[in-house]
Amino acid sequence: MFVFCGMLLAPVAMAQVQPGSAQYSVSLHVGYAHNLTYGSYANFDLDAYMPINKHFDMQANLRTSTADFYTLGVQLRPKFALPVGELYLEDRVMARWVARDEINDFVHALSIGYMMQYVNAQVGMSTRIIIPQPYSFKDADAMVLEPFNIIYRVEAFVRPKMSPWNISLCVANVDNYQVERVWQPMFYLGGWYDIDDHWRVRLSGKMKLAGMFHLNAHYYGAELRAGAEYRF
Amino acid sequence: MKKNIQICLGSLFLVLGSIFTACGPDARLDMVGMFAGTSPTINNRFEISQAYNQQMGFATLQAPDDYHVYVCTDTHITKTRTRWEYFIHAYREDQLCPVAVHLGDIIDARTDFAYVEEALVPESDAVSQPMKADTLMAVCGNHDIYFKQWEKFIKTFKTSSYYFVVQTQSGAQDLFIVYDSADGTVGSKQLQWLRETLQWADTQGFRHIIACTHTHFFKRDSSQGHTSNYTLEETYALLNLFTKHGVKMVWSGHDHSREITQVKDMTCIIVNSMEDDDKHPYYMLVTMGDKIDYAFVAVP
Repeated sequence: MFVFCGMLLAPVAMAQVQPGSAQYSVSLHVGYAHNLTYGSYANFDLDAYMPINKHFDMQANLRTSTADFYTLGVQLRPKFALPVGELYLEDRVMARWVARDEINDFVHALSIGYMMQYVNAQVGMSTRIIIPQPYSFKDADAMVLEPFNIIYRVEAFVRPKMSPWNISLCVANVDNYQVERVWQPMFYLGGWYDIDDHWRVRLSGKMKLAGMFHLNAHYYGAELRAGAEYRF
Repeated sequence: MKKNIQICLGSLFLVLGSIFTACGPDARLDMVGMFAGTSPTINNRFEISQAYNQQMGFATLQAPDDYHVYVCTDTHITKTRTRWEYFIHAYREDQLCPVAVHLGDIIDARTDFAYVEEALVPESDAVSQPMKADTLMAVCGNHDIYFKQWEKFIKTFKTSSYYFVVQTQSGAQDLFIVYDSADGTVGSKQLQWLRETLQWADTQGFRHIIACTHTHFFKRDSSQGHTSNYTLEETYALLNLFTKHGVKMVWSGHDHSREITQVKDMTCIIVNSMEDDDKHPYYMLVTMGDKIDYAFVAVP
């Protein structure tokens, strides 16, 4: 429904979008991660960003992990420039094969976001289907549906968003490879540096606490991630 | 830019205001614990529980063939303990009940555990009757440990990660694994212990295996709001572990509203809360025979 609304509203916003704000890009990241369940492991991420036109962009994300889980996600974003900032809608589909636990999950998320020069805020909802393997169509109890989950992302930048280098701080329960439950926020600190017009390097860290909303929070997991992005 | 700064500062004041107003002596919520837990980590708590288990061993209880297990959760005892006493009376009066289980959040926040324990001491006139059932197994919930309450919990209940076996007259044995999930994670050491315990259980020919804990796996019904549960990584690891090793049921609390989720051959039950202020309190009465039957009993 959000996508449909976005298609209707896009022409209204067309004249206000800043040119040159988006380029096709491909990025590759490697991450070292640790959590209490998996221990230490490494992630390899391949992402593609595709601005279809001034009012729509798409993103595809692929993660493989030495912890034996795999993620494929696709996002479609209609965007509308406002006098201050940009409003966007996001339709996200994500499939995860958690081979180590013989479980697949599929998530569909719809959200609305507002991007300013220094702040990006996003809120929406998601639905998840959890399917333990092997799956049988005949078995009525073969899957678990979690129909409603709130997703959110609040990100602050120290410099304007399009700067050649930047540092950001973010709290969210959703990223390109995972959509967590509402009470499981993740904290991110990251930055980028543009080497030239095409190459950008990125470095980021992620921290996941367990028990924040059990009011006895402790470390659960962390990830350090580095990579490069090529903009065409 | 100016607007952005105003929004950021406004949010910061809102968060800080919430923290400071929740830090008084009568505060129910440990807002400091939200960012830095005041009780030990799950790995440390597990080690403390294991140290007690190694000293005392694991219990084996005798029971009739189709015996009862009384299960309650989230009593959140503060200044009254009416329903807690009702529950104790109910399971002690039942000739078929060798054991009752409390799934955590025994107290609300800063209640003295001695007040909880007092209700477990039989009155003098009750002692003259044969004690039919007087074994209560408990596991800590998040309300039992925040505000540095873990030390008091463990002083009263001794352990929060253990198992016990119920052996029936005809020789069937049921395994009950009680594990600590009071802060939304089982941790690495307890997860390994769960793996080893279930591998051992595979060789013992148990009739039923039941897992008892505080935090629930899933929340499908959003009508009562959501409560925090495990990380996804841990949800899937536990789900796979339990279904693979034939765990028949997972009993949990935490959410206060009942929900039953069937995953393959495993039934995950969130039991209603039983706190004195609750308008719809229930405990769960489980009949353990060759088949497991359960019912929810309304508490006056």
